[in-house]
Amino acid sequence: MRNFLILLVGLAALIALPHGLSFSQQEILVFLVINVLLVTSYRLLTLTGEWSLGHVVIMGVGAYSSALYTKELGVYVPVSMLLGAVTAALLAVLLSFPLFRMKGFYFLIGSFAAGEIIRLIWKRFREPFGGVRGISGIDPMPDFSVGFYQFDFFEPVSYYYFAGAIVIACLWILWRIEKSPVGLTFHAVHWQDKLAQASGVNLRAYRTLAFAIASGFAGLAGALQGHYVGTVNPNSFDIEVMVFVLTWAIVGGTATFYGPILGCIVLTVLNEIVLREMGLEQARPLIYGAIMILSILFLPNGLESLVQKATRRKTTAKPEEKAAT
Amino acid sequence: MIPKFLTSGPSRRTFLKTAGAAAASFGLPRMALAAGEPIKIGFLAPLTGAVAAWGKPGLDGCAIWAERVNAAGGIQLADGAHPVEFVSYDNEYDPAKARTGATKLIREDGVKFIMMLGGDTWPGVQPVAERTGMLFSTLLPSDLSPDTTTLVAPAEVHPIYNVTGVEWLAQNKPDLKTAVMCAQDDALGLPSVATYLAAFEAAGIEMLDEPLLFDPATTDFAPVVTRLMAKNPQIICLDTCYSDYVHPICEQLFQQGFSGQIISCTADFYDQMIEKTSKEFMEGFIFQFPDFDDPALNSDAINFQDPNGFYAEYNNRHPGQWGAVSWEYASIMDMWKAAAEKAGSSEPDAVMTAMKDGRGAHAFGEADWWGKDLFGIDNALVGDWPVVAIENGKAVIKEFRSIPDWYDRHGDLLVKHMEAYGQMWNQRG
Repeated sequence: MRNFLILLVGLAALIALPHGLSFSQQEILVFLVINVLLVTSYRLLTLTGEWSLGHVVIMGVGAYSSALYTKELGVYVPVSMLLGAVTAALLAVLLSFPLFRMKGFYFLIGSFAAGEIIRLIWKRFREPFGGVRGISGIDPMPDFSVGFYQFDFFEPVSYYYFAGAIVIACLWILWRIEKSPVGLTFHAVHWQDKLAQASGVNLRAYRTLAFAIASGFAGLAGALQGHYVGTVNPNSFDIEVMVFVLTWAIVGGTATFYGPILGCIVLTVLNEIVLREMGLEQARPLIYGAIMILSILFLPNGLESLVQKATRRKTTAKPEEKAAT
Repeated sequence: MIPKFLTSGPSRRTFLKTAGAAAASFGLPRMALAAGEPIKIGFLAPLTGAVAAWGKPGLDGCAIWAERVNAAGGIQLADGAHPVEFVSYDNEYDPAKARTGATKLIREDGVKFIMMLGGDTWPGVQPVAERTGMLFSTLLPSDLSPDTTTLVAPAEVHPIYNVTGVEWLAQNKPDLKTAVMCAQDDALGLPSVATYLAAFEAAGIEMLDEPLLFDPATTDFAPVVTRLMAKNPQIICLDTCYSDYVHPICEQLFQQGFSGQIISCTADFYDQMIEKTSKEFMEGFIFQFPDFDDPALNSDAINFQDPNGFYAEYNNRHPGQWGAVSWEYASIMDMWKAAAEKAGSSEPDAVMTAMKDGRGAHAFGEADWWGKDLFGIDNALVGDWPVVAIENGKAVIKEFRSIPDWYDRHGDLLVKHMEAYGQMWNQRG
């Protein structure tokens, strides 16, 4: 009952949130929600011990595919978003054949190379990918009404509700996967790979599964972004964007489900709202970099370690309180 | 209560009350500025990152422009004089951030006009422009299409003006008959490649090789330059490369012993290039963007206000940072000011109507609204453009040449090459 109430209050807060923000902050909120899905999907891949530099390109695969399904084939936007996610997942399965012949650092470099090949394909083939300019005029999510609420998807508030609902559903699925036997096996593949293999676990199959699932959700994030902004181009999914995703994951921490989400929210708010509002627009890269270095020096286990400390203190304080009474 | 709370209507109403800029599109009366209230102008360009060199110097130039205009009494509208104020947003050359920036500038800051670099960022802003009716400007007319009715390109017709440099070269150095070209493979490089190909063909200069397109992530230009020089060309064309490419390419050309002619769209911070190479090596380098202390800019035909004084003030505040865009955004503001004063209003639709009424007072002389053939809409202001050469370590305007005259004679070549590179408005994704 208590958990249900917390959930209800949290949901109400999320619904009310955009109404307390300015227009530009509402826009940032939309991208933040999409990036939460991106970074959480990235964490699923890291559960198996592999860090990829191609995750943002895979997000782009979802964005490009969904854009093309609507533009070229006239597929209804929500369906094309799902198809974009499926395309990203299928491509990941295809890429897994060469990539999972490698591990660790070699996988990292291999994933970067694979991502660059995909980006070069987008640039090289004007048909159908639009070349260096990419694809513009992507169909937006069609407006609709649910009686008490008119969804106008040009408005960031409407898109926030739409994307937020999808992202919450995705986070729930990712959470369930992690807590399922499959998720536990992902952990085993990372930390006890020899033991897992000796127990009959097919390491490569599980790595491929994690890669495909993570890519599917990243593709969905890309599709959500593409249909909101109305354009995709190869530069929107380059290594610089990937560095941001890595930073969110590292600064937030990847030991817990909420770590990367925390990193994404804190750093985005800092970079896009706080520093801009402080009039430090042009100094942002410098300050952002300094904060990153400081957090890695003084919070090597990420922002999640702060939350863990706080909750641990609370739980250890309880028996003492009982003893005192 | 709940349905009312959830309805997104109030946000639009708030927007109309606070910004007033979308009034035309929603059919509601406009919000007039109070007498003496500052008119806000949006500056939505990259101020950090790899493309910042084509945003930040423009903002610095606008600050000088605003001080001068405000000191002279501001913008004279029907309801009196108004000072002008710039509000900037760093879009990092990212379409999503450009959309956020446009929303902030229109809905929160209540700007009356937004200047952009354009390029990759414009498609992210276009839905906002369509929805609000806000007047935007771009430095890259390749953003124009029949759908972009509130977007104008009043400062530079990139890359079409590059034809003037090649034409001047062919007439003044007729012994130069062979060329090669390199460019970064992006939205800025490709239309420029098509333009240079047309200009070389029109001038009877033979291309010895296909244009060498390198990835924008390239940092080592030694192989690029080696390949360019392999055909022993008389002219090496650097297309519209960013200054981060022009500098190392020139260094490599110097180190690998090139002694022929170099032509480029820009030569930002050319004094640094001379330091890295030599005065002799850079002698005769042709490009398209003058220093504004050039005496040729004091001609009566020039519409930019006090170019020499502007240049001196700019260099005083930002020594060594004068670049291609330092004056361009300010020159757009000259045109916007003239149009707003003519209309007696700062409202976007009124300014747009006044701006496009007859010929335009371009920085380099009277010009025509043009572009139907290439962009599908006559929203680019085109007239004369300077050809600049480095002589004795200093940029010197050699001549002003007419872009429309060249287009009248060789327009078919330009269309042919633009089509070959998929750069016509109807070929874009």
